Amino acid sequence: MIDAPDFSFAALSPLLLVLGAACIGVLVEAFAPRDVRHPVQVGLALTGTVGAFVATLLLAGTREVTAGGALAVDGPTLFLQATIAGLGALSILLFAERSLDPARSAFVVSAAVPAGSPRDRELVTTQRVQTEVYPLALFAIGGMLLFVAANDLLVMFVALEVLSLPLYLISGMARRRRLLSQEAAVKYFLLGAFASAFFLYGLALVYGATGSVRLRDIREAVTAESGGVLMVLGLGLLVVGLLFKASVAPFHSWTPDVYQGAPTPVTAFMAACTKVAAFGAILRLLYVAFGAAEWTWRPLIYAAAIISMIVGAVLGLTQTDLKRMLAYSSVAHAGFLLTGVIGFGAGGDGSGLAATMFYLVTYGLTTLGAFAVLTLVRDGDGEAGHLSQWAGLGARSPLTAAVMSLFLLALAGIPLTAGFTGKFAVFRAAIEQGAWPLAVVALLASAVAAFFYLRVIVLMYFSDPVADGPTVGVPGLPTTIVLAVTATATLALGILPGAVLDLAGRAAIFVG
Amino acid sequence: MPAEGLLAASWLLIALPLAGAAVLLLGGRRTDRWGHLLGTATVVAAFLLAVACTVQLAGLDGRAADVELFTFIATGELDVTAGLLYDPLSAVFVLLITGVGSLIHVFSIGYMAHDPARRRFFAYLNLFVAAMLLLVLGNSFVALYVGWEGVGLASYLLIAFWYTRPAAATAAKKAFIMNRIGDVGLALAIFVMFAQLGTTSYAGVFGSVGTLAGGTITAIGLLLLLGACGKSGQFPLQAWLPDAMEGPTPVSALIHAATMVTAGVYLIARSAPIYDLTPTARAVILAVGAVTLLIGAIAGCAFDDIKKVLAYSTVSQIGYMFLAVGLGPAGYVAGLAHLLAHGFFKAGLFLGAGSVMHAMDDSVDMRRFGGLAKKLPITFVTFGLGYLALIGFPFLSGYFTKDAIIEAALDRGDVWGWVLGGVAVLGAGLTAFYMTRLMLMTFFGRPRWDDGVHPHEAPTVMTAPMIVLAVGSVAAGALLVSVFPLADWLAPVFGEPAEAAHVVAPALVGLVVTVVMVLGVLTAWLFVGRREVPVTAPVRVSPVTRAARNALYADTVNESLFMRPGQWLTRALVWFDNRGVDGAVNGLAAGLGGSSSRLGRAQTGFVRTYALGMLGGVVMVAGALLAVTAG
Amino acid sequence: MNLSYYLVLAAILFTIGAVGVLVRRNAIVVFMCIELMLNAVNLTLITFARSTGTVDGQIIALFVMVVAAAEVVVGLAIIMSIYRTRRSASVDDANLLKY
Repeated sequence: MIDAPDFSFAALSPLLLVLGAACIGVLVEAFAPRDVRHPVQVGLALTGTVGAFVATLLLAGTREVTAGGALAVDGPTLFLQATIAGLGALSILLFAERSLDPARSAFVVSAAVPAGSPRDRELVTTQRVQTEVYPLALFAIGGMLLFVAANDLLVMFVALEVLSLPLYLISGMARRRRLLSQEAAVKYFLLGAFASAFFLYGLALVYGATGSVRLRDIREAVTAESGGVLMVLGLGLLVVGLLFKASVAPFHSWTPDVYQGAPTPVTAFMAACTKVAAFGAILRLLYVAFGAAEWTWRPLIYAAAIISMIVGAVLGLTQTDLKRMLAYSSVAHAGFLLTGVIGFGAGGDGSGLAATMFYLVTYGLTTLGAFAVLTLVRDGDGEAGHLSQWAGLGARSPLTAAVMSLFLLALAGIPLTAGFTGKFAVFRAAIEQGAWPLAVVALLASAVAAFFYLRVIVLMYFSDPVADGPTVGVPGLPTTIVLAVTATATLALGILPGAVLDLAGRAAIFVG
Repeated sequence: MPAEGLLAASWLLIALPLAGAAVLLLGGRRTDRWGHLLGTATVVAAFLLAVACTVQLAGLDGRAADVELFTFIATGELDVTAGLLYDPLSAVFVLLITGVGSLIHVFSIGYMAHDPARRRFFAYLNLFVAAMLLLVLGNSFVALYVGWEGVGLASYLLIAFWYTRPAAATAAKKAFIMNRIGDVGLALAIFVMFAQLGTTSYAGVFGSVGTLAGGTITAIGLLLLLGACGKSGQFPLQAWLPDAMEGPTPVSALIHAATMVTAGVYLIARSAPIYDLTPTARAVILAVGAVTLLIGAIAGCAFDDIKKVLAYSTVSQIGYMFLAVGLGPAGYVAGLAHLLAHGFFKAGLFLGAGSVMHAMDDSVDMRRFGGLAKKLPITFVTFGLGYLALIGFPFLSGYFTKDAIIEAALDRGDVWGWVLGGVAVLGAGLTAFYMTRLMLMTFFGRPRWDDGVHPHEAPTVMTAPMIVLAVGSVAAGALLVSVFPLADWLAPVFGEPAEAAHVVAPALVGLVVTVVMVLGVLTAWLFVGRREVPVTAPVRVSPVTRAARNALYADTVNESLFMRPGQWLTRALVWFDNRGVDGAVNGLAAGLGGSSSRLGRAQTGFVRTYALGMLGGVVMVAGALLAVTAG
Repeated sequence: MNLSYYLVLAAILFTIGAVGVLVRRNAIVVFMCIELMLNAVNLTLITFARSTGTVDGQIIALFVMVVAAAEVVVGLAIIMSIYRTRRSASVDDANLLKY
């Protein structure tokens, strides 16, 4: 008689809520009449994500390993799940915005219709809204929630696919500029599948070295130094798979193209949530499973951090498209986050983990807000992403320009914004672990990156408006909520970061 | 002790005007119609709250309340918490700032009624009040510094309020730069404290400053003094204050007479535990105070611009206050009492000057005034009371507070006590002279104004604050000395007032000062009142007058000592910057831009290239890991 | 028979797949190369299951097949949609987003 594994439904409730809502969403898509689908789907998606957010808050303090050891519900899991669920709910709100695009949605009516065909031109102007994106996004969020809780390489792999596959699809669903959107989806898909193949090969090698894919068993094998070359190679390939998702250079090449091509709400969602999930998995893999081999992977992460910061900051300098610029900014921020990963240190007091988690919150909120502002500025062909179109925006739409400036200052890490507090925390953690050269590079990269953020501000305020410039749309309730929440949080976490820092500090212990 | 009740809400004191400023600045033209009312309301509300807080404070043991606001950053050794300290010293300042501030806000409603940018004016005034309250309420030198820079900013914005006038823009820049010099001193002092003591909170610094070497304490004291001199227009940084009169007159009254310029006195009084340990720095304060007192008084005798005379008078009176706080425990209370009394009468005098300007089409040339007493009766009476208070007419406020300073100086008992006391008495005579001259030229004699000027009394909204301030000028001194003794109120901060052994009997001092004052008045009458005042200033005058007219060549000295060498240095630096630094920076920027486009070319857009890059990364990772394990 | 032969074969297959991704232009073929990589991993997993004496590897291989099937669905959908638009399945033609 084999006993069924213990299954703590309470501890997994965030996950179950989101995935349950996603499954119901599929049924709604199949059976509900078209005109009620949009409100039902949005309501369902918000219920799922906000419910998951509340559930993580209620679960605070839980520390257990459940589902037969496959899932760990501990401080970092819950903190990151709360972050993902919260940012996910905000992204859903961006998806649900109906008053900016004259066609009432940022998503294509029928993705199967070839772009540019007569039928497509006909559909682009109809006010029909398709709602497949909501269950897809929910599956992606569910995958992310699973990803940060995975205590087992197989679960981690499955979660990676569950979060990635819907993202590949919704990247290709832009209503306008469909050619770019489809290209982004193809690139993301091929490269993502390529990267997961490496992750999987790494999984197989680690399995071969230890006979198990449980992180706990792997840790024992690592501590006993019984793994040999297979283990080290496996570790390298696993890390590659995760660094790809976190868009760390040199595995970042998909990031600018996909961020630029995907519908902006989806880009916001990817930039904010995927990064959180990927770093959650990186931290757990490196410290729970491979903590004892720290001196093996440390140089690797060190180098990746430096390359990522330099590539992101330097390449961002010459970008002329705002979405693409923010994509390179995302690459640079991935490097800053790795600085925090280094700062965790196996022997550390958890301040590096807390700093990294805090940084994820601040970066997620700020970047989500920045992309939300991007959806407001439009010309006849959708969003006006080119830098030159933003010239003189401060004179025409002071509030939009001011909010955007706030997010850009936060991304640049100017004091009194969330970005500064986050950067300060991770750099300090890195220095405490003796990684001060990394902190120096990070500071220099921040200085370089500050240039391209500030250039946008200068452009908005000190340039004359272009003659046939873009219009600034009046956001509906969903986007207004997103902007208000992200802007307030960006300021609040810059001025009064104490509460969230404390929370991150208390959550920063992995269950083994 | 931690604050309870209303005191716990004392952060509202700062938040209210700050919110007002935010609403007015962010609200834009939508708030034009009621902006001035909101601006006034926030300050009046703050005043009422301050009164309530102070009443509660009076009943508290130890009379001090710590208001822990929030922890800004708490990591390891760097622990930046923001908090407020509501104690008798800050309470006095809070009442002065919000009280006089309220009156001046009310006055400004009338004074700025025809200015299209009135809302902006009130926004800046609110910003100033918030920053000034932070300055006096903060519980650490860092909080003080934030407020310090805040008032500097507000002062800059308000001096340059009519920024289209070149004189205003220049004056604002001058004020800003001279303040910067002082601010650097203050910032350095804070750095030294933090480096040596690891804290900047008042409690922490004062508790452990005694452990430092004497030289370090003196350095801190002198650096703080530099900051105080910059903000308070003291020698050698006094030249900006008279030029700051380019701002609207309510600004001159509030910022450049009653409150902000006394921040230096506050700083020195607050830092009493530091100065107690360094007689050297204290001697420097005395010297600064005495020199400034005379410079201000002498320059005040020669100017024909009514606001400039008042400005130099301010410089001179703050010199008195520096002199007092430089005397140490014996003088703190006297200095602060003079500060409060001065806040009343000088604000009243400036508002009176504003009323005169209002009547005279914004003219400030006293040679074009004359005979205004009949035309502006309320202004004349209120101004006259302020004048009497300032020159120390017996039993008005200046009489009590100035005498107290002179007594404190004489009580030193040594030869320096006599010198300082003598300087102070001489200053009193000069004050009587230039103020009487001002009175005579403005309100008496034959009308000398241009055709087409029709002097008229100001509306009630302007005269009411003037009346209140005049009453304050008359009563403040007696109140502070006998009815609500300031010395007892401030005892928790400066210790119980010691019964001084008087070197000279107070009554005798009072008599001498009064005689000197009367001499000053008579001299002024002999020189100005008896004769017709020429409409244009005489050109052939004695070297003394010429020197005084040039404010003792302060600007010339500044120019030749600092500005010219500064310009040379700047030119040299610009040259170096163009060739060296810019070369490097531009080179770096070009290099970065170049590498950016070169690196960008790797982003070909071909998915297969990307895959190749990733595979390269994988090979590198695998190779590096194998190398690490093998090696 | 020595188990390492299987491992080497799997590694060779994996490499062939990876190189195929780099050199083939047709999106479908590129995708098939990725599937080849996944199957090479499956072979590795089963070999290790044998060598370590556990069944986990075989179970994981089943999981991988399911995931690969899901990936095929998503991948073909995306490739189909871009093929319909561009009338070409060459990955080199999708080259609008760059630099």
